[in-house]
Amino acid sequence: MTSVVATNQTILVVGGGISGMTAALEAAETGKQVVLVEKNPYLGGRTVQLYRYFPKMCHPTCGLEINLRRLKANPRIQVLTLAEVTGITGTKGAYSVSVKLKPRYVNSNCTACGECGKAVSTEIDDEFNYNLGKIKAAYLPSNMAYPQRYVIDPSIIGTPDADKAKAACKYDAVNLDDQEETINLSAGAIVWATGWKPYDAEKIVYYGYDRFPNVITNVEFERLADPHGPTGGKILRPSDGKEAKNIAFIQCAGSRDENHLRHCSRFCCMGSLKQTHYVQEKYGDEGKSTIYFIDIRAIDRFEDFYQKVKANPNVTFVKSKVARITEDKAGNPVCNGVNTEGYIRYANAHDLVVLALGMEPAVKGVNIPAEVMSDSSGFLMADPANAGIFGAGCATNALDVNRAVQSATAAALRAIQVVNKVARAEA
Amino acid sequence: MSDLNQEMADRYKNNFLKEIEEQAEMGEWVKMCMQCGLCSGSCPTNFHSGWDHPPQEIFMLIRAGKREEVLNSQGMYMCTSCYNCYVRCPRKVPVTHVMHGIAEYAYRIGRAPKAQPTMHLSKTFWTNATKTGRVNEVQLTQSLYFKEGIGAGIKKAMEMQSEALGLVKAGRLNPMEALGMGHKCKDIKGIHAMLAKAEELEARNKAAKGKE
Amino acid sequence: MAETKTAAYICKGCEIGTRLDTAALVKTATKSGKMNLVREHDFLCSADGVAMIQNDIDNEGVTHAALCACSRRAKTEAFNFPTIAMSRGNLREGVIWIRPDTEEARETTQEMAEDYVRMACAEVKAMTVPPGNQKTGSVKTLLVVGGGMSGMTSALEASKAGYKVVLVEKTGALGGWAGKLYRRVPTREPFKAPEDNGVADMVARIEADSNIKVYLNATVAKTDGAPGRFKVEIAVESGNVAQEDIGAIIQATGFSLYDANKLPEFGYGKTPNVVDQAGLEALAKAAAAEGKPICRPSDGQPVKSVVFVQCAGQRDASGTHLQYCSGFCCNTSIKQAMYFKDSNPDIDTAVLFTDLRTPGNGEDFYRAAQNKGVIFSKGVVSQVLPNGNGCTVKFKDLILNEDTQAEVDLVVLATGVVPNSGVNIDAAAAPAAAEAPAEGEAPKEVVASVPVESILNLTYRQGPDMPQFKHGFNDSHFICFPYETRRTGIYAAGPVRRPMDILQAQEDATGAAMKAIQAMENAGLGRAAHPRAGDLSFPTVRLEGCTQCKRCTVECPFGAIDEDEKRFPLFNESRCRRCGTCMGACPVRVISFENYSVNTVGSQIKAVDVPDEFSEKPRILILACENDAYPALDMAGMNRNEYDPFVRVIPVRCLGSVNTIWITDALNGGYDGVMLMGCKHGDEYQCHFVKGSELGRYRLSKVGDTLKGMNLETERVHDVEVAITDIATLPQKINDYAALIKSFPPSPFKGF
Repeated sequence: MTSVVATNQTILVVGGGISGMTAALEAAETGKQVVLVEKNPYLGGRTVQLYRYFPKMCHPTCGLEINLRRLKANPRIQVLTLAEVTGITGTKGAYSVSVKLKPRYVNSNCTACGECGKAVSTEIDDEFNYNLGKIKAAYLPSNMAYPQRYVIDPSIIGTPDADKAKAACKYDAVNLDDQEETINLSAGAIVWATGWKPYDAEKIVYYGYDRFPNVITNVEFERLADPHGPTGGKILRPSDGKEAKNIAFIQCAGSRDENHLRHCSRFCCMGSLKQTHYVQEKYGDEGKSTIYFIDIRAIDRFEDFYQKVKANPNVTFVKSKVARITEDKAGNPVCNGVNTEGYIRYANAHDLVVLALGMEPAVKGVNIPAEVMSDSSGFLMADPANAGIFGAGCATNALDVNRAVQSATAAALRAIQVVNKVARAEA
Repeated sequence: MSDLNQEMADRYKNNFLKEIEEQAEMGEWVKMCMQCGLCSGSCPTNFHSGWDHPPQEIFMLIRAGKREEVLNSQGMYMCTSCYNCYVRCPRKVPVTHVMHGIAEYAYRIGRAPKAQPTMHLSKTFWTNATKTGRVNEVQLTQSLYFKEGIGAGIKKAMEMQSEALGLVKAGRLNPMEALGMGHKCKDIKGIHAMLAKAEELEARNKAAKGKE
Repeated sequence: MAETKTAAYICKGCEIGTRLDTAALVKTATKSGKMNLVREHDFLCSADGVAMIQNDIDNEGVTHAALCACSRRAKTEAFNFPTIAMSRGNLREGVIWIRPDTEEARETTQEMAEDYVRMACAEVKAMTVPPGNQKTGSVKTLLVVGGGMSGMTSALEASKAGYKVVLVEKTGALGGWAGKLYRRVPTREPFKAPEDNGVADMVARIEADSNIKVYLNATVAKTDGAPGRFKVEIAVESGNVAQEDIGAIIQATGFSLYDANKLPEFGYGKTPNVVDQAGLEALAKAAAAEGKPICRPSDGQPVKSVVFVQCAGQRDASGTHLQYCSGFCCNTSIKQAMYFKDSNPDIDTAVLFTDLRTPGNGEDFYRAAQNKGVIFSKGVVSQVLPNGNGCTVKFKDLILNEDTQAEVDLVVLATGVVPNSGVNIDAAAAPAAAEAPAEGEAPKEVVASVPVESILNLTYRQGPDMPQFKHGFNDSHFICFPYETRRTGIYAAGPVRRPMDILQAQEDATGAAMKAIQAMENAGLGRAAHPRAGDLSFPTVRLEGCTQCKRCTVECPFGAIDEDEKRFPLFNESRCRRCGTCMGACPVRVISFENYSVNTVGSQIKAVDVPDEFSEKPRILILACENDAYPALDMAGMNRNEYDPFVRVIPVRCLGSVNTIWITDALNGGYDGVMLMGCKHGDEYQCHFVKGSELGRYRLSKVGDTLKGMNLETERVHDVEVAITDIATLPQKINDYAALIKSFPPSPFKGF
């Protein structure tokens, strides 16, 4: 049985992405007890699946390293991975929370030596790489995975492969009898930081994401560009492995659309502008990017970034929402539409089309196991009715990393206000 | 130019958007367009040279008060009601309906071109279908084929011969329709009464709009 | 303090035991390392291994332990012994995982391991456990400068968490910019109509809050001290000065609108019928007060048509006006257009924009405005001309692709914001710096800022205000850590930090209050702030050795060091981030931390066994930034990316902490080369200490002269810019460099 020490002065943070980690660390570094619950077997969330951040073009793992070091140095945070909150009862200052823990089949003895991975032969979809590749069924999710501990996929439990993994481990770290369990813990306040997910591209039927292999999503493109991704950082198109040098980016794929996402997802313009840098980085002047857009939303000093990309002769901007994608005989996706600046019809073939998918909440308001207010997109709203539950990061709005961190820092204070009140009452 | 055209122009002066909003069916949606161009790009007929202005551009012209340019445009008559634009429009603008609304308004104030082919089709279809409550496909085809004269009609008919035979064989076309036979609505009188009522209502609506 | 007892532990797990001769390592630790106690363990991080170490601490009196196992980044939960000084010898990621398991590699791999054992022993012996400085102040009152929406939010949120707040407002009333608004952009579902500006409610809450003390018509005359012990003088209207003891500071001084007089082409100043967004708010407020429609200023007649010109003097690539986008003005113009439409739908309202920027739920607001009949046109305005009691707006319609114009009663210019960020201390310091050798900085952008007086009047040696970032905002360059300014315990909040709307500003102000509270709590405990959060060490200086060269006071990226009346450096511990830049800068090496000093690194350098010149075994020292380069090397190990066996890696807190003595010591000691690995610097810096890597590089660029003086090739000291993702490329760079070094003759200093 997993044991967690928690009281009504504990802050529960749900979600271990950059928002959740930030909220947990800010609270813990102010002296509060924190329990951090993460669904994945590792912390970091979607940021660690990005190759670079805009506008600095720096690497998300750089900030993650700092955050992990803060975490390792801080005894006041207890981390639960493979964990999901299934129920919240009670009131502000006195919540009771049930948390379902999935088995990892690997205990804290693990040294990440990698022997179990070598022993296992079954391969599974690599979720970290948006299933663009395969990994062994005993795996370390990424180089920066924390806890730095292997995971055995449940699909091989009960097969000889699992036994091989166990036999390969010299440290008695593999526990094939690991069972799912549900634990209950107390919390005075809850920070809900379950983040976002990309809009389901298949729902935008006219872009043919499910029909054309060379139509991919912005999050997948991040993995293709990453040297530690499934292609070793080469931008290869899925259909034939050809180098994709002429790439289209379609903005508002799902966003600003009453048939899909009502809101503007805010980050996707900058995301695509950033991704044109990847094309330039890999192919120099041979790499061509075309951005199809309605409005380029490069707010505040991001405008500088936009102006720089605009000045790049290898990047073309077309003011148009692409009407549909077809495929030519060579397997090239063809963007069809009308440039609305002067009404110019086009049918442009590209090597690869990247859909700048919008953001929706990973857990919509109605699915949060507590009485909370959410907006029409399912984002958690700030509302007194939410009592001691505070949204943070992309669970509250479509935000970029910087704003998500800002939001999480604010949420940490709101949670501290509650537990400080509890502390004063108990003192 | 008809009097009605001048009357409307005078009444709305420089506010063509208001004119469309009040007079054209679904005209109130014009203001909701955000100029993304999805409708224009989605239109299956947008390759056609008759498309001088696609929907999104017509909307912009209306908002810019370009009355003559819009009313002289062929754009709104080109719509085939495929509804691609409507289902895709991120603003849920019923583009198809708006285009028809504008076309109908232009016709009503006498601004529709005389030999506009899609308008001819619409009128022919209406006359044909309202006669019996069911479309007489053979007669409809005939009246369209022979619009340009007997020679052109025969030529066109010969071209389409094999398709026609195929339809007949498949039971999709009844040659007897040429003689006015074939399927009809059961209660023709009822249909006609319904249509008459609808016309009366519409006339009343439009009269009211004209007076506003 | 208890007697020192040293111990070394050699782990045999993860193939360390099979790849290396651990018995020899034990000998090394005992003989060369001179450790009092040396133990091997099959699986040191196991419960049994940890218990063994804990037992030695508890019962054998071990005070210093060198754990020779895996990387210092691994197994931190197991190896958690906070009461002792501890070093880690990286035998796994740093040795066996980056070397091939071959017979010919065995000898050099073993030598590598033995060196790392020696280094770990040497390092830990030079360390002490930092006790934490208890002398830092423990004041927990927050000062908020600026009584607008951001400042009021920070004050209320901090109070709600139980902290006292002093709120200083320059004008005679709280509310700031928001108080001048007739209505504000909606903050809640359904995001369709302007809302009450919310100021009155907040002011009432502040007035009712006994934790919050408000100074109106007041400015900060002097800020002295450090987090936890600021002494702040507040100049009030009467001419008196009030004193407050303060723990941390939030600067929420907001913005000024960009001066529309700089836009004569848009008719501002030529006719009263061209206003900026503030002007329109004033008109709307006045109209509402009188119960009348909004009237045009020229003749007082109700406005029948209005055009909003977006990006007026903004997003200007020519350099004449503001380069950035102010972010909120699209929504503001939408809101202002609604003022007209909501009162009379027949008023023509048009918004001329190039990109309409309504992120998030702003899209609903945009749709609502369209639904109310506001016309949006993508167009670029070239000119606004006065025309009787109206204006002619000339613009290019980008959709219809034509030049056109509109005759309207009123024109509203969305001019954007300029931050009220105080004195640009870098620019102020520039004349002096210009005489000194250039630091390779790009020329600063000419910011169209309002002429300013200092806001904080800090007595800091490095200047009276917070350093500014791009375009004059008090922002940081960190994506992951937006609040990290270069002045510890002083945080910027709201639009002075970055252009933002009210809702964002309130979120930002709450976050800033969080950081400020945290800074106060930690200052009192002697704990460092981000990024070395919780570090109890702090720099100490042997004043008797100090030559008063001032390098430490000038270079400290965080302005932590002042000069005392005798011109000696005066360290303010709670301002310090523990990066060690001062230590690196000090030419006489009198600055050190308990757990990181010239000696902890220097003794490691000296502990390495340097073979003689005939052995063909060069030695290359790598000083690697612990934040990025060292993790990259670790991950290279995890991926079994091999690199040269002749390198010895020592992690450093920052390139800025590298003292040139380490390099000269290494070269004098017979090392053949020195590689320095630090983060990117310059405008797109990735250094977590902002200026650390830049300062370090500048300092080290001078090493060339030293090398020449020693008759050594200048390439022997090599600076590499490293990112944490260089997992595959970094080993290659090491190998390339090692090949270069091998092409040189062996260092002539071997054996001295």
